[in-house]
Amino acid sequence: MEQELQSQNFPQEVSRCGTNSVDAVLDELESAGAPELLTRAGPGGLRGSLQALLRMREFSVLSATILLFIALSLATPLFPQLDNILLVARQISILAIIATGVTFLFISGEIDLSIGSIYGFLGIVLASLIAKFGFNPWFALLVVIVLGAAIGFVNGTVTTRVGIPSFIVTLGMLSILRGGALLASGGWPVMIKLPRDDPFLNITSGHVAGLVPTQVFWMIGIMVIGGFVLSKTRFGSHVYATGGNQEAAILAGINTKWVKTINFMITGALCGVAAALLLGQHRNAFPLTGTGYELDIIAAVVIGGTPLFGGAGSILGTFLGAAVLGMITNGLVLLGASAYFEPVAKGSIIVAAILVDTLIRKRRV
Amino acid sequence: MEQSAVPTGTSPTTAEATGERLIPLVELRGISKSFGHVQALQRVDFCVFPGEVVGLVGDNGAGKSTLIKIISGAYQPDSGVILIDGKPVTFHSPRDAMMMGIATVYQNLALVDQRDVAANIFLGREPTKGIVIDRRRMVEESVQVLQQLRSDIPSVEVPVGLLSGGQRQAVAIARAVHQAAARLVIMDEPVAALGIEESRKVLRLIKQLKAQGRAVIVISHNLEHVFSVADRIVVLRRGRLAGVRRREDTNAAEIVRLIVGAEHL
Repeated sequence: MEQELQSQNFPQEVSRCGTNSVDAVLDELESAGAPELLTRAGPGGLRGSLQALLRMREFSVLSATILLFIALSLATPLFPQLDNILLVARQISILAIIATGVTFLFISGEIDLSIGSIYGFLGIVLASLIAKFGFNPWFALLVVIVLGAAIGFVNGTVTTRVGIPSFIVTLGMLSILRGGALLASGGWPVMIKLPRDDPFLNITSGHVAGLVPTQVFWMIGIMVIGGFVLSKTRFGSHVYATGGNQEAAILAGINTKWVKTINFMITGALCGVAAALLLGQHRNAFPLTGTGYELDIIAAVVIGGTPLFGGAGSILGTFLGAAVLGMITNGLVLLGASAYFEPVAKGSIIVAAILVDTLIRKRRV
Repeated sequence: MEQSAVPTGTSPTTAEATGERLIPLVELRGISKSFGHVQALQRVDFCVFPGEVVGLVGDNGAGKSTLIKIISGAYQPDSGVILIDGKPVTFHSPRDAMMMGIATVYQNLALVDQRDVAANIFLGREPTKGIVIDRRRMVEESVQVLQQLRSDIPSVEVPVGLLSGGQRQAVAIARAVHQAAARLVIMDEPVAALGIEESRKVLRLIKQLKAQGRAVIVISHNLEHVFSVADRIVVLRRGRLAGVRRREDTNAAEIVRLIVGAEHL
């Protein structure tokens, strides 16, 4: 067949439009045979893994995490101690759990501003179900998770089927649910009365071996599952494709509306889990809980290297982003800095993270 | 097509020479399609044989895109029949056409830049082992299909966004080929946005597809490219078939006359 291709003669007239020159090149290319074999991956060995490390999206946030850890350890000997590390881990747990859902959403190209309100509202609902309606706490938790997913379904459906940008839809939901939390509680905290050794309290906010907070295990478990789904399953692949090039994803038969709606639902459901972890800790639900929390959560996701416009990002990055935020808060307290300085520091870190990331990306491409 | 050549065996490259004896892979008979008052296609006949490259040319608005969209299942004709392997079929969507081995490479390529080559070739059809994506199979089959196309992509684990225009085209073609185990690949202006060197690579890909026995329909405004790859050239003008020529029997001047209409020269 090859020979036939090459032996075909072209009529003289064709040369008038210069075809022969192109054909000569084509034939030359063909007789040269196939190009060198495709390598399966980049170079192997130490150099290869170093290059892979540098190529990693999480590289900037990973270095930031390590540098911040070293800097804080040098600044104050209290910082690197085990109980302080575990404290930071517990403090970032709730944030990181919600941020896991938000990472899915961001990668698929959507945003949810209502997360802080969903979290606060579900806390009130959960406490009310237990305290006022006498629900079994675990059943109440299940109800709240389903309710969170239902709120996400509304966010997702209005966004994808009606076509209103998620920024606007969830901004509305932010306000509606904050009002809902205030209305449901009458503006007062809702207290749950469970015995001190109730398993619900132990499992949501106790300690394992009297040391490691259970919230940390919730965080690790949810993030490992989230990371697995995102990087190893078809659904995860479709999340990336949806945010990367929605048109291409649709042409490839991916139901991008469903992918996005499911991500809103995952986010809502995780807000329910987070609400339960907080309720276990305080045994009180406050109607203003989660006000402004969306900014911290989105900051963790963005610092972790997930772009606002979707198509890339990872749960590992989000975990590191949450760790950076947690270490800043903790470090400032240990250093005795004014609490008013914390938002300034966080804001600067967010901008710096994006800046570094943008610079690296520009050099890379 | 008057001479009745003797079939020379199995080679698909001789298909056009034995046109009357072979059953076309895809045949359109009397296809008409209008959009409102605009008659985009009027009783157009068209066929493509296995292993044949057909160049589809015509001025803007001549009906080229409408014609390929009917073949790829994106549009349904108002009248006329589509035959695959001599049997009449009806396409309700591009999926139906894909099932019959007809794959389309869209002009914008429809690639996800952030994802790697293997992920793009398997976009929406990722193989799984249990619930986990079978990455190994994706990588192996991607390497295989790209090697078949003799593409020069360095690794299937590079994000598509880092590839050149011609390499991206190769990924899109590889997906089309792999997806449908395509017997017919339709390409709409595959080299429109490419430089000279990259264009040559894509033309080479087309020859490679042909060498594998696949049929190709190429839409192009560039007659030089059409002459370098096409076995037959089909000219549309104002929604009608203006002429069909075998490459050996024609020249650029005649094709241009057919495109613009002889009365204009």
